[in-house]
Amino acid sequence: MRFNDAVLGGALLVFSIVIGLWSQSFPAIPGQEYGAAVFPATVATGMGLCSLVLIVSGLRQKGVALAFAGWAQDWRGFVRILVVIASVVFYIAAAKPLGFIPTMTLVLLANLKQLGVGWLQSIVIAIAISLLIQWSFGDLLHVPLPWGILSAYRF
Amino acid sequence: MDTLEAAFGLILHWDVVTTIAIAAIFGLFVGAIPGLTATMAIALLVPTTFFMDPVPAIGAMITCSAMAIFAGDIPGTMLRIPGTPASAAYADEAFRMTQKGEAEIALGANLLFSAVGGLFGTAILMLMAPWLAEVALKFSSFEYFWMALLGLTCATFIGTGAPIKGLISLFIGLLVATVGLNNPAGVPRFTFGDINLLGGIDFISAMIGLFAVSEVLRVAASGARSLPVPQASVGNLFKGWGRLFVRYWPQQLRGNILGTAIGVLPGSGADIAAWVSYAVSRKFSRTPEKFGTGHLEGIVESTSANNAALGGAWVPALVFGIPGDSITAIVIGVLYVKGVNPGPTLFLTNPQTIYAIFLIFIIANLIMVPFGWGAIKLAKQILRVPPKILMPVILSFCMVGAFATNNATFDVSVMLVFGVLGFIMEENDIPIAPCILGIVLGPMLEQNFVTSMIKSDGSFLAFFERPIAAGLGLFTLFVWGASFVSSYLAQRRAADDPSPA
Repeated sequence: MRFNDAVLGGALLVFSIVIGLWSQSFPAIPGQEYGAAVFPATVATGMGLCSLVLIVSGLRQKGVALAFAGWAQDWRGFVRILVVIASVVFYIAAAKPLGFIPTMTLVLLANLKQLGVGWLQSIVIAIAISLLIQWSFGDLLHVPLPWGILSAYRF
Repeated sequence: MDTLEAAFGLILHWDVVTTIAIAAIFGLFVGAIPGLTATMAIALLVPTTFFMDPVPAIGAMITCSAMAIFAGDIPGTMLRIPGTPASAAYADEAFRMTQKGEAEIALGANLLFSAVGGLFGTAILMLMAPWLAEVALKFSSFEYFWMALLGLTCATFIGTGAPIKGLISLFIGLLVATVGLNNPAGVPRFTFGDINLLGGIDFISAMIGLFAVSEVLRVAASGARSLPVPQASVGNLFKGWGRLFVRYWPQQLRGNILGTAIGVLPGSGADIAAWVSYAVSRKFSRTPEKFGTGHLEGIVESTSANNAALGGAWVPALVFGIPGDSITAIVIGVLYVKGVNPGPTLFLTNPQTIYAIFLIFIIANLIMVPFGWGAIKLAKQILRVPPKILMPVILSFCMVGAFATNNATFDVSVMLVFGVLGFIMEENDIPIAPCILGIVLGPMLEQNFVTSMIKSDGSFLAFFERPIAAGLGLFTLFVWGASFVSSYLAQRRAADDPSPA
């Protein structure tokens, strides 16, 4: 999934202009010329200049705006990426109410299944890894992983 | 002597020794699996170190990185797929030796010269760091500004194909570093009014995203195909070590020196050391025509260099708090969390910790021989672990690791955002290392830049008034100039010569 340099440069140019303008809104320190805005504004200027160079080189290369090569030629590649992202989002939303072990088991199950691991193997690995993390991180390293619906059975 | 005794006292605890052993096995496993880099091993290891004392935490990271850089040679030799980018320079050469039935010589040499290279880098670190620390005590904001900029410059320009894309990565990192309250004026910047962002973006979660989650996404995208099964059989690895050592001592010495020097240079590490050393070896070889046909000479030199670079990279990290490569970038972050603030004063206030670090380096490189031998013997089993199972498991450890940085789900979101960012960047040939160094060095660069500007009343000339500052400044500008000229010349050459190389 390669963007043409001109497209990439255009997006970065807009981004750097937004950052540059935004940093101008930072309050100055009274009597002091160099405050919070100097550094981000300098970086945004540098990034703006780089994106101009990218735009020029991209226009010279011509080519399509977005090239699909390798994995990106198959729509299933995108689906798999979306499943990974969605499973992390699910964890962020569900870990607290549902608890770590059930949430992580579901996350692992979704990812193992989508990569073609068999049902039995997926279920065993998903449960085993979730329990292992709860024991190692939660118990040994004292990370407060949420118990959620399993609160009554905590170990 | 008392300091050394105290340092031994810090290390000789069962928990330190166990931690080092576990970190060694973890490093060998991650390094041996293609796609999982030494940096990723460290990023995944960091969350487990939050609950340790400083010395075992540092020991785990040193051992893990040394083992991972060596283990990267194993699949490079057996399958022609380097386990970490630091082994890429000579994977082709080593695989040709395997095809000729010389796998055990290649792997034996990798093990021997990796360990020796690591010890050489450690020796230089031990000699150079305390001496440089005395020099660094005299540094003002001007020198620190240039040191930080030099580190960022080297990371951006050396070893990256297109300087423009390296620069963009760097600027992204620097902007990430500006988020939050942590700036000279104490003003909230780019926080969208979110209190989670007031403290800034946690760089460990960002790192886990950039290095580990992006790789999970990449493997998921291409469907997690299994690796080919290695066919090579490996006999006695230690056969002929004496002869190898005598025959290739000039190459290994040159590799050690060059590797350490590249490591010491802020912003450039093991990957670059291996590439440069391989090229140097070929240039000075009496039989350059044998390179590329399964010839040990270049392998010896570059496998020495990449492990030597690890020790070298700790010199600027410990003395100035400026990372020598992306691994030490993570280490510096952890040192701050542990209250062991890197910098010249660490050598005065906490010398026993410094000596403990040196000792762990020596131990790590010595136990590399037995542990590495075991990893080579088990290589077929390690390489048989299917990515379709490994990747979801890694994802789960990434999520728990990000959560553990602040015990907040917010950090899991940070990890996800940076995972997607890293994936998109790599798809478009934007290197990740400059971004990491930008995030780590951004606050230091800004603070010293703003302090210097206030001191000098806005005059940029003041940045060149002190002798060391002027030297560092000119060297930094030289690297900028040289990289743009060479990239311009390369473009011209490509334009003049329409046939693809």
